[in-house]
Amino acid sequence: MSYHIDMEDNSTEPEPVLLSKHAKNLLRFLNMLPARMASHDNTRSTIVFFAVCGLDVLNSLNLVPPKMRQDIIDWIYGGLVVPRDNEKRCGGFMGCRAMVPLTENSEVLECMRKYQWGHLAMTYTSIAVLVTLGDDLSRLDRKSIVDGVAAVQRPEGSFSACIDGSEDDMRFVYCAATICHMLDYWGDVDKEAMFQFIEKSLRYDYGFSQELEGEAHGGTTFCALAALQLSGQLDRLHAATLERIKRWLIFRQVDGFQGRPNKPVDTCYSFWIGASLCILNGFELTDYAKNREYILSTQDTLVGGFAKWPQATPDPFHTYLGLCGLAFTGEPGLSAVMPSLNMSMAAYVHLQHLHEVWRSKSNEGKEDHDLTLSSAVQQLKLVEDGEAKATTATTSTSPLISAQ
Amino acid sequence: MGDSSDDEYLGTEWIPYSERAEWADIAPLAQDDGPNPVVSIAYSQKFREVFDFMRAIIAKGEKSQRALDLTTDALRLNPANYTVWQYRRDILRELKADLNVELDYLSEVIGQNSKNYQVWHHRRVIVEMLDDASNELELTENALINDGDAKNYHAWQHRQWAIRTFNLYDSELSFVDRLIGEDQRNNSAWNQRFFVIKHLGFNPNLVDQELIYAMNRIRIIKNNESAWNYLVGVIRQSPYGNGLLNNHPAVVEFAEELYQAGNRSPYLMAFLIDLYQEQTMQNECSDREQKARKVYDICDDMASKHDVIRRKYWQYVANHLKDQLNKSSEKANQ
Repeated sequence: MSYHIDMEDNSTEPEPVLLSKHAKNLLRFLNMLPARMASHDNTRSTIVFFAVCGLDVLNSLNLVPPKMRQDIIDWIYGGLVVPRDNEKRCGGFMGCRAMVPLTENSEVLECMRKYQWGHLAMTYTSIAVLVTLGDDLSRLDRKSIVDGVAAVQRPEGSFSACIDGSEDDMRFVYCAATICHMLDYWGDVDKEAMFQFIEKSLRYDYGFSQELEGEAHGGTTFCALAALQLSGQLDRLHAATLERIKRWLIFRQVDGFQGRPNKPVDTCYSFWIGASLCILNGFELTDYAKNREYILSTQDTLVGGFAKWPQATPDPFHTYLGLCGLAFTGEPGLSAVMPSLNMSMAAYVHLQHLHEVWRSKSNEGKEDHDLTLSSAVQQLKLVEDGEAKATTATTSTSPLISAQ
Repeated sequence: MGDSSDDEYLGTEWIPYSERAEWADIAPLAQDDGPNPVVSIAYSQKFREVFDFMRAIIAKGEKSQRALDLTTDALRLNPANYTVWQYRRDILRELKADLNVELDYLSEVIGQNSKNYQVWHHRRVIVEMLDDASNELELTENALINDGDAKNYHAWQHRQWAIRTFNLYDSELSFVDRLIGEDQRNNSAWNQRFFVIKHLGFNPNLVDQELIYAMNRIRIIKNNESAWNYLVGVIRQSPYGNGLLNNHPAVVEFAEELYQAGNRSPYLMAFLIDLYQEQTMQNECSDREQKARKVYDICDDMASKHDVIRRKYWQYVANHLKDQLNKSSEKANQ
């Protein structure tokens, strides 16, 4: 297997990335999680996302057997919420099944619908997993999902995660932008209000906060910049402002990256800050060797995976983001990553192909711009290649990715 | 990713719901994870049972005291279950429960889960329902000081929300000053200071006071990004001086003196680079080349000696200025 570069014996080389161990590590999480991870019950689809997208970045999706690949796709679709006309606009994906009862009793099933809502982060990660696995998204009603996104937008432009019971902040602004971008449809989402909210959250030190006047933070700065890019609004910020944001980001490098001034370095910020700098075409201004050295100091050489800090326990979140951080530096054996959608370039190319198909369908459909109908048409016609993306090129001339 | 160690909350004398007489009328409702689930969690027996009863109660729409107690158990096992939190709020509304009791419960839960989004959100909603934020400053102070994480993002966010919504600014500046005094590198506290000052309004006296405050802090720890960012941030955001560093001679003098005294903190150097770059671009005067030279020299020093990790960036900054100057001289020659 060509990705076994970790087995090469060359002592003068820098520490190797243990590609096959990371792949096995991520693969384990797709199967069974220990009871101690029960507090992650509501975000199971994010764990699928880290594992599947991580395997993709490792060029190791072939390790997922075809049946399991289908099981993942079916399980993801099983979390889809499609509201009826007389129900709240709560379309999207659930990240778990905690509110899905095992019963034939239609009355019980009906009652539980009131507490089944799409969640923006789960919708984003679910769609990203489907795209990464080469699914054609034909089982999705794109309008229903984007209606759900628009329904959780707040008057001040921010987004909640779901129709009831959720805080609103920059994380969900990002998720909203990824969903609309991936579905190539913005419907009733108010991009202008979204821009206003993001701009208001730019702090005096030129990082972005979670909301309004909170502290600037690496993760939320990524969310803000990626949302601006995905909604085509990044160039609305002045050139001088972008330079100052770049400065704030560049200053986060210590060896690896920190998320806030005077905070410790953490592997995940090699992604959040790295991707932000890619979006601003500034990643090449960082010190690749030091970044790599830090990420590798958090690599678990025994069981694979990356942790936030050296000697800490690895987890899928830091493993995936560590791999992406390395991918930005052009690490051999890893495929290129599309920064703002946080998925491989190969998956992104597949997505662009889907967009082309949808656009030509909607043109063919004369004046018919009803997405519900066009997706039904796709369902009939596009049963073809689930594997198309596996053969697509991993490089792209997309303006969304900077030269590395 | 944290672990859910429920035993420490639930104690050892746990009686399964199926053995409780007062729950005998409820048939537990299992989770339907589909025919071939992935990322399955090997739920503990306790977790499985509590959530089976939780689903049964939600399906029934029962909003009672025992349902409320059940949510307490469910949320101890998984405080991230936002739907159960929402159901709990629905119960509280229905029962017209004493929300002060809920606040006490939440203070305890937040003490144990101070980095969980859902508990803070629940707290915010309850405070809104009560229309009373009189406990919020103390709660967040506990999370920031007594619990040992003075940079807890959730606690600061909640504190800001309470201050903004209920106009609790009065003693915030002294709180912030205390935290900065305890740790001058606490960037969260500096950010909070900016939040308060902006609310008070950037009048000339206040701006001068804040610049002096930041300079005094920098005199103690020169290599402190938080204080430098604050200093520059106040200058750029206040309407006095048009956001230009050069229009604050006391700060310019302060920085140049530090430099002449031999300090080479990257934040000081970055300030000087910005200052001389600003002078270069603003000035129509003859010493433009000389000012630009200063920028190039400091950038070189940064790249080669004082901030080597950012060497490519400082070269970029110097080149960026060269480009700008070329463009503007081309324009002038046209």
